[in-house]
Amino acid sequence: MDFIMSAYAINKLLRHLGFLLLLVSGHANAESFSVESAQIDPIGNGYVLTAEIKYPLSLRVIEALDNGIPITFQKQFELIGPDSLLGKYWPWKQTLWSIEISNELRYLALTQQYLLIDLDTDYRRYFSSLDDALKSLGEVNNLILPPEYIAEPEGLILRLRSGLNLHALPTPMRPGALISSKWQLTSPWVEAQWH
Amino acid sequence: MALSFIKRYSAGAGPYYSLGILLIVLAYLLSAATQDSSALNDLFIIILAISITSILLLIALLGRSIFGLYRDYKIKKSGSKLTIRLVSIFAILILVSTSIVYSFSVHFLHRGIDSWFDVQIEQALDDSLELSRSSFSIRMRTLLRQTRMMANLISELPDEELNHSLRETSRLSGAIEFSLWTLDGQLISTSTENPALISPNKPNDDVFRQLEKKKDYISLDPNDDLLQLRVAVLMQDQEEQFLQALFPVNDRLSTLGHSVQKAYTDYKELNYLRKPLISLFTLTLSMIVLLTLLASIWFSIWLSRRIVQPLQELAEASQAVASGNYNTKLAASGYDEIGFLVRSFNQMTQRLTQSRHATQNSHQKLEQQTHYLTTVLGSLSSGVITIDKKHNLQTANVASNTILQIELHNLLNNNLNSLSTDAPHILPFIQLIEQKISGQKDWQQQVEIQQKKGMQSIMCKGTRLPDHAGWVIVFDDVTTLLQAQRNAAWGEVARRLAHEIKNPLTPIQLSAERLQHKYLPLLAEDQTQTLTKLTNTIVKQVEAMKEMVNDFSDYARSPGLQLQRLSIGDLLREVLSLYQSNPSHHFVLLNSNEEIIVNIDGNRFRQVLHNLLKNAVEASEDAQLHVDIVLSYHAVNIEDHPWLEIIFHDHGPGIPDDMVNNLFEPYATNKVKGTGLGLAIVKKIIEEHDGHVWAENNHDGACITIRLPLEERTID
Repeated sequence: MDFIMSAYAINKLLRHLGFLLLLVSGHANAESFSVESAQIDPIGNGYVLTAEIKYPLSLRVIEALDNGIPITFQKQFELIGPDSLLGKYWPWKQTLWSIEISNELRYLALTQQYLLIDLDTDYRRYFSSLDDALKSLGEVNNLILPPEYIAEPEGLILRLRSGLNLHALPTPMRPGALISSKWQLTSPWVEAQWH
Repeated sequence: MALSFIKRYSAGAGPYYSLGILLIVLAYLLSAATQDSSALNDLFIIILAISITSILLLIALLGRSIFGLYRDYKIKKSGSKLTIRLVSIFAILILVSTSIVYSFSVHFLHRGIDSWFDVQIEQALDDSLELSRSSFSIRMRTLLRQTRMMANLISELPDEELNHSLRETSRLSGAIEFSLWTLDGQLISTSTENPALISPNKPNDDVFRQLEKKKDYISLDPNDDLLQLRVAVLMQDQEEQFLQALFPVNDRLSTLGHSVQKAYTDYKELNYLRKPLISLFTLTLSMIVLLTLLASIWFSIWLSRRIVQPLQELAEASQAVASGNYNTKLAASGYDEIGFLVRSFNQMTQRLTQSRHATQNSHQKLEQQTHYLTTVLGSLSSGVITIDKKHNLQTANVASNTILQIELHNLLNNNLNSLSTDAPHILPFIQLIEQKISGQKDWQQQVEIQQKKGMQSIMCKGTRLPDHAGWVIVFDDVTTLLQAQRNAAWGEVARRLAHEIKNPLTPIQLSAERLQHKYLPLLAEDQTQTLTKLTNTIVKQVEAMKEMVNDFSDYARSPGLQLQRLSIGDLLREVLSLYQSNPSHHFVLLNSNEEIIVNIDGNRFRQVLHNLLKNAVEASEDAQLHVDIVLSYHAVNIEDHPWLEIIFHDHGPGIPDDMVNNLFEPYATNKVKGTGLGLAIVKKIIEEHDGHVWAENNHDGACITIRLPLEERTID
């Protein structure tokens, strides 16, 4: 059992490596996802993030979606700040906070709608068109940033990116998706603007 | 650092342990994934990575093994060809069988997965989905008409009755919820069957977009596990408002709808995943086949090496035996045919070793015998030579060299006839042998050959070797023996002559003197002269006969030598001083550089010198030549022994050819006077001193050489 657990840990590591692979190959793909805008606004004593992500799906992904394959999208947010020990004297950065939001998009054949599920909260939304679903997916509205890390926002960097979680695909599709550029759609990291 | 670690790692058993561990892990993960398909989803990448790593490791191991085989083949290591042949056969068998199994498996895989799908099922699912949609669309159209009617009805009512009217209409129509909205999303009024709901279900963006186009909206929405129908129609009099109604769908219909949708989606998903699934299964199968193939080929190499190793050891051991190492022994391996072969080989080498020892012992004994025979032959005073049937000289002992005065050792394997080319003086000896060995019988004959010191008599005896392998010739130098026999005969003659003749001589002489004394006064003067002349003649002849008898006596008697150490130079000078009286005689003495002391009988040696000098002087005077005699003496080393050599060179007429060989024989003389015993006595005295004397002619006279043995310490 312990071995299985460690196997899962290795699997997670490999997923990260796969994500890195997607990032590297994503740069080479013109049709990759992109973070159109990202800005941080102060609200009360805290800050919220508003962003817009564009999801231009490839035909291969749309084909899979129309054939009932659920597609999992991932949004990654990282708050990076100077190292607490060396920050003053050495420009070394460390990740202070990170979060990953996963959404699943699937097509419902009977109602001819697209279902968007927030995998963390199981919140479901239905859309009659794919564009509406993707548009809704790409909107990040008022994501509350952890106030404990943003007492002094100077020098902090919040960056985000989004991509497909290919490891969530059905097993038969995974090897092909991992090596196909048509599935490598991860956006590059984009730093949010502080307002 | 890393490179050395890789080298050390790859050289040992590390790769095999690593591969074994990887395969065990792979088997465990595959087992886990087979028992739980969801686990396969998570473990897929790990399984794939381990499989690829195992294959790469196996390829590396196989490459190393194949390279090892190639290296052995290049250096022509024994057994490498057989190993390669076995590996090739195994590899071909593995490739053929695996390829057949692989192709059939791929074929069945495709056929098997394709058989899951059926056109009729697909059509049925499409139709059922379409049927469901149609079923819902009828209901949706009905509800749309119904909602429009209700919207018209509500629009005609005054505002204060709006809430009541909505509740009534909702109750009558069976809707879950009725709500009145403005197009900008403001709620005007609502009525719901579920009192727990605080706020009504807000229309989504599609509703607003549709209504803004002045078109009514209706849709089938999923609501948790159930379905509901959403209808939105514009109010007839107030176009900025619309009525939204939510109608429940029958549970049974919802369940059926969900079921149809799930079946349709699952089938479509499965159909879509058909190709990836086939690819994945083919990939998995290919990897397993590749893993099996590589492992089998690697195992075939290992097995071939294991099979060939005893044969290789046998081949190497055979080479060692062929090169003379008979102590080679192999470790016994098993009880199969190869083990039997190894044991037989060990027995063979053991017997070979024993035979070799026996042969070595025999050879050693033979060598000892040969050495013994050689020693015996070498110590023989007789000469022994062997010749083969082609008349080639095969062996010759030391004595044969001494007797014939020729180095026969250097002429082995030469034909007999060619020997006389190098040494013409042995030609009569060769001719005798050639003549005799042409016959079949053993033979014995004496032959004379001309040596430097005179004629040499050799007694030869030929014996045929067994199996007509040739002849063995044994010969002796009998010159000394014959000389001794002659000397003895002459001595006896001289002794008898001296005894028989000397006795009557004195009475004859006395009688002649008395006859002269008694009858001389009685005779006439003319007769006295005659008497005197006759008696004087008798007395003179008797004196001559006495002298001759004394010489014979001297020759015959052999008194013991009175040896004393004398300087040969002093002795020669002493004798020569006696010959200085005649000024016409010329004597030259060439002294040696060193003083030579010789152990001789002084008186007898003086007689030797006198005889020789007298002989030389008389020879020159008889030939009316000027007497010019040169004497020289010096020490020489012959066959590792020191000798004194004295040479007389007389510048006279030389020795007649017919006398050269028997100059030292008694009565060998051409002089008118003399007994002919002078040189015979010389030779007798020299031989009594264990020396040699011989004569030869030079271009300007005769040369007589005396050689006497010396002790090494006598040379200063």
